[in-house]
Amino acid sequence: MLARHYIGESWKHGLLIIGALIVLIPFYMMVSMSLKSQQEIQSISGGLVGAQEIQTFPVCTKHGYTEEVCTMRPYKYNFWFAFKKAPIPRYLMNGLIVTVSIFLIQVLIALPCSYALAKLRFKGREFVFSMVLFCLLIPVHAIALPLYVMLAKAGLVDTYAALIIPWTISVFGIFLMRQFFMTVPDELIDAARMDGMGEYSIVWKVMLPVAIPALLAFAIFSVVAHWNDYFWPRIVITGNRDLFTPPLGIREFRGGIDSDEFGPMMASIVTVTIPLIVAFIVAQKRFVEGITMTGMK
Amino acid sequence: MHHSKAHIWFVWPAIILMIVILILPIFLAGGISFTNYNLGNSSFEWVGTENYEKMFSRKTYIKMIISTATYVLIVVPVSVVLGLVAAIMLNSLRFGADIYKTIFFLPVMATLLAMAIAWEFTLHPTLGIINSFLANGCGGIREFILGFHWLPWVSSEDSWYSVACANNMDFPYWLKDKKTAIWTICFIGVWQAFGFNMVLYLAGLTSIPRELYNAAEMDGAQSTWEQFKLVTWPMLGPTTLFVVTITTIRSFQVFDTIEILTKGGPAKTTYVMMYAIFEKAIQQNITSIGAAITVVFIIFIILLTFFQRYVIEKRVHY
Repeated sequence: MLARHYIGESWKHGLLIIGALIVLIPFYMMVSMSLKSQQEIQSISGGLVGAQEIQTFPVCTKHGYTEEVCTMRPYKYNFWFAFKKAPIPRYLMNGLIVTVSIFLIQVLIALPCSYALAKLRFKGREFVFSMVLFCLLIPVHAIALPLYVMLAKAGLVDTYAALIIPWTISVFGIFLMRQFFMTVPDELIDAARMDGMGEYSIVWKVMLPVAIPALLAFAIFSVVAHWNDYFWPRIVITGNRDLFTPPLGIREFRGGIDSDEFGPMMASIVTVTIPLIVAFIVAQKRFVEGITMTGMK
Repeated sequence: MHHSKAHIWFVWPAIILMIVILILPIFLAGGISFTNYNLGNSSFEWVGTENYEKMFSRKTYIKMIISTATYVLIVVPVSVVLGLVAAIMLNSLRFGADIYKTIFFLPVMATLLAMAIAWEFTLHPTLGIINSFLANGCGGIREFILGFHWLPWVSSEDSWYSVACANNMDFPYWLKDKKTAIWTICFIGVWQAFGFNMVLYLAGLTSIPRELYNAAEMDGAQSTWEQFKLVTWPMLGPTTLFVVTITTIRSFQVFDTIEILTKGGPAKTTYVMMYAIFEKAIQQNITSIGAAITVVFIIFIILLTFFQRYVIEKRVHY
């Protein structure tokens, strides 16, 4: 009986390990290419990290650097040259500006609204809530074209505003917070009112602290979605490199298969991808919670 | 409950934004789809249903519908089943489940655009490790396994693997070949999506009470399969419904991998809806036809969600 159990267990591990290896292939490829020299990449040799021989890089000297500057180990060169070629910090900064602004505005709009929907009685409340439910059906990407037409007419293409405006209203956020506030006892709010607090202070001083767990989950969901979003920035940012978000930056590095050097290109892609992956591995539980909460009612 | 005027200031900003950002654009797309309007033109004419007629008669758009449907019909069932299988396996492990969970969830988190480029190199006919792995395996165990030589009806001379080995390592070109491109894109779609479904199923599994399994055993459901049929699957009904809906909506919106890897080609075999909207309306500035595609797209999604809600109300309650 016990032996059978172990056989069953190792059989499962076998399958799962194969699955895990397949899932990891592109990550392996990405990291490996960012570390190796061009010759090793083209001849598919050197395993994960390559031989790391000190060498002089011709593309680098072509860019006008001295031979001395251009002589180093491949991994160092790839990352160094990636930062020389493109304003990577700027892209990361833009990603941060856009995702944080989106999240803050979403909360600013959604929190009071969901409080009102959950705890205040007013005419038309049911109507507003059914409007929220209807809007939950509309994926913003699906209506990207008319939104783009509106923003173009308003002269906002190629601005931070264009990156942020379509995401300022998160009906999902309103819905999530409303469900959460429904579980908060009325006595808490009544007590606050007895203490002479106005509705505004109740929202920001009583409800906000109570909602922290839900907000955290929502923050992760929102930040991950918008940090990784490529479609929308691709549409509204047409040429201004100063406004590139990380995915647009990645897209620019990619001269693709025709580009002269793959190492620095992959190094820039690794640099841009890594912040979120590290954050994920550090706070895994919260991430999984935050992202799966999207549908858990 | 309390009466004050505060709700006006609490609710109106959200209402205005919902109308302007989410509802108005639908009507705008509807309006534009009946005109010949192009962004930048100052005037336009009403053309009736011309754009829709084009959409359902021209070859390009027929191909668009076929490739979108193929993608959705492959990615949704495969990633849902894989997610379920992975969740059940992880749930029954004694150790190591967390590591697998992290790994399977990585593609959900990682920037898809970056991963698309990583896949481009992985699958590249000469630079990629997939084809070099296959080429190095000619005549060996890899050929035996992946060439399906272990199946009695596959002869070891004319399996796809042996033929490729014999023809100077003529392995598939994956994204460059119109016979394989859409399947490769689907594979990447599954790769990206199944971890998300797995996590939702894991959450669903933990909420099934243990007693139900004991009860099922009492009733004679001894084998794992019978218990799955009797307890696990029905109890996961609501999760499945949600997982299927969200994966479908996301699959309809596939864009990043297409733009980076195939640009809708070869021969429009991967010309999905979002890419069509992007190419026609944004790159070629034919706003009106883009609007028509948008309208069809929104109708699809809304119908789908209504269907889901209908099923939830009618069928899924235990």
